[in-house]
Amino acid sequence: MSEQNNGMSRRTVLKGAAVGGLGIAAGSTLLTSCGSKDAGPMKWGGRGLEESSVQWHEAVAASFEEATGTKVTLNMNDSNAFQNNLSQYLQGTPDDGFDWQAGYRMQFYADQGLLEDVSSVWDEIGGQFAESYKIASTAADGKQYFLPTSWYPWGLHYRKSTMTELGLDPENIATWDDFMKMLEATKKKGLIGYALGDKGGWEAMGTFDILNARINGYQFHVDLLAGREKWTDAKVAEVFKYFEMMIPYMNTNVLDISWEGMRDLLLQKKCGAMMMGSWFSGDFKTLSQADYDDLWIVPFPEINPEHGRDTIDAPIDGLCVAANGENPEGGKALVQWLASKEGMQARLDSGNTFTSANNGQDTSSYDPFQKQQLAVMGEAKYITQFLDRDTRQDFANPVVAPAIQNFLRNPKDINKILESVQEQWDALPAL
Amino acid sequence: MTTTATNTPVRRRRSFSRKDRLTLSAFVGIPTAFHILLVWVPAIGTIGLSFTFWTGIRISDIKWAGFQNYNNIFTGTPVFWDAIWHNIIWLLWFGLIATPLGILLAYQIDRKIRGHRFYESAFFVPVVLSLAVTGIIWNFMLQPGGFVQGIMGRDISNPISIYGNYDINTYVILGIASWRHIGYIMLLYLSGLKSVDPSLKEAAAIDGATEWQTFRKVILPTMKPVNIIIIVITVIDSLRAFDIVYMIYGSSTGWPILGILVFQNISGGGMSMKGAAYAVILFALCIGPMIAYLKQSFTEDVK
Repeated sequence: MSEQNNGMSRRTVLKGAAVGGLGIAAGSTLLTSCGSKDAGPMKWGGRGLEESSVQWHEAVAASFEEATGTKVTLNMNDSNAFQNNLSQYLQGTPDDGFDWQAGYRMQFYADQGLLEDVSSVWDEIGGQFAESYKIASTAADGKQYFLPTSWYPWGLHYRKSTMTELGLDPENIATWDDFMKMLEATKKKGLIGYALGDKGGWEAMGTFDILNARINGYQFHVDLLAGREKWTDAKVAEVFKYFEMMIPYMNTNVLDISWEGMRDLLLQKKCGAMMMGSWFSGDFKTLSQADYDDLWIVPFPEINPEHGRDTIDAPIDGLCVAANGENPEGGKALVQWLASKEGMQARLDSGNTFTSANNGQDTSSYDPFQKQQLAVMGEAKYITQFLDRDTRQDFANPVVAPAIQNFLRNPKDINKILESVQEQWDALPAL
Repeated sequence: MTTTATNTPVRRRRSFSRKDRLTLSAFVGIPTAFHILLVWVPAIGTIGLSFTFWTGIRISDIKWAGFQNYNNIFTGTPVFWDAIWHNIIWLLWFGLIATPLGILLAYQIDRKIRGHRFYESAFFVPVVLSLAVTGIIWNFMLQPGGFVQGIMGRDISNPISIYGNYDINTYVILGIASWRHIGYIMLLYLSGLKSVDPSLKEAAAIDGATEWQTFRKVILPTMKPVNIIIIVITVIDSLRAFDIVYMIYGSSTGWPILGILVFQNISGGGMSMKGAAYAVILFALCIGPMIAYLKQSFTEDVK
């Protein structure tokens, strides 16, 4: 992909940029800033082997090479495997810059000294981000170790055509009762009302998060995940009471399928709605523009009027620089470009369906689905990351995941399950 | 070698030249060094780690934890007991059903029943596939939208729950594992049977022994070394089971077994000491059969 860029002089790069019509106003300033650092060849560890993901990574890497004349080698990884192996990856010979997540997950590796301080990048382009993003990118020592690139909402996804056929309008669901009526109507037409998969153990956390936030509010949710509230609280049992009401409208093989199974149910018009992060929309677009145009997202309906629809899981994705990489300076130059307005524009231009985390991003090029994602996130007063990013790693997947799976299997056992969750939280070693 | 050594021990020892000694110590020493470095050092390290709290990154962060990780596993982790239960079912299934079936097959094939060549190759084919590949194949076959659901006329919107159905998934997984295990045991046993002196069987037949009596009183005792190896393989394979389950469920605890718990904790970050403790428990369970196995193979070598 990048071989021909190797021997290019800066002049030809400039010419190429101009002729290629990148349309980046700040392209030349970036050129000088990166060129002066003598960044050298660098490596970028990308996550996600789905076609849509590989596609935008390649496009952005190419745009970086075109803009700076520096060669970047892109190494794409399976998303789950990458996450599982991150400790080993960072202690070995990591890529210089790599895709990662804000908040607790960044914090842990920053505390261990495995991430490179990128405060200098924040000094240069920090003005392009909201203050809350800077907080999410800052570790315990007050320095930044993360650059946000994109964020996406967790909400009810559905196909407009299916809902029109059913005579339903999910955009105007005001209450839980309306929501149940919608599920009932979908089921009556022979479709799955609420598609859910939980084979991976994390998928159903999205439903738990939103129910807890809707019923008990943001503060309780955050406190529960931080251990300041108890899982044995009647308020948590209440959440699962609502969860249980949805089970009759789910597919009968929730524990057989993972998020891919959910996506396929929606793709093949077998279900009404499903709770998922909008990141999967790229797969719709890969399949066909018509499928993508048919996809829509709305916030999960209100349950408790006290909290309305004030909270949403909207995880921030972005980049870190590995401390053990061969070229940390190059890594910084890379993440600076990727997170900058220009880099994000190149990503959006490649057809990526995420929404930019960059303040200054020109949203006029957004398609209706991206605009809707922004609207859904913009409506919420409180932003949470996601259960497995908002609590201890040795709690989310080893404890909460099997607990929710057990609940889906035997909803009647919920009190016993919650007692066990609390016991397991109490038994965790102090950090 | 044993016989020569006992006949002329003194002379043998003297006949080693300096060069011989150097060569010998290199041949023994280098593999031993590698073995200690690659097997025993990590093993002892894992055992040590299981008694600590550690994030798995900076050595200076290690804190002594005593038996707390084990205490946490035994008293505070219900999924551990699910995993032990699954390993026990696996062991019982292999020991009482799959392994005897493999032996029965080997015996029948050795008797050259009609079509024995066909059966032999049919049961042998799964053995050449690794367990991971076996898991992938069966996952494709049984998943929603897969082949089996397809011939039952089920699409992804109305599939039969298989891997997520706790009434049947255990038996489905054990069935998949047996698909390979039966052929493996058959192969081992068949090679053993081929070396049994046919005159023994003839003698038993002349004495008027029935088929079952011949098998029990003549074949089985002659096959003792093979029997022990098969028992040990059955036990160890049941305890260390991992590949098939991982291919189907990933590192989530969809169908917990010890191997998955080790992996889930070690790969997740921040829980490596608990993963190490699981590994030590698994090791403790395996070590008995392993010693029996090694002892048997050593005695055989000496013979």
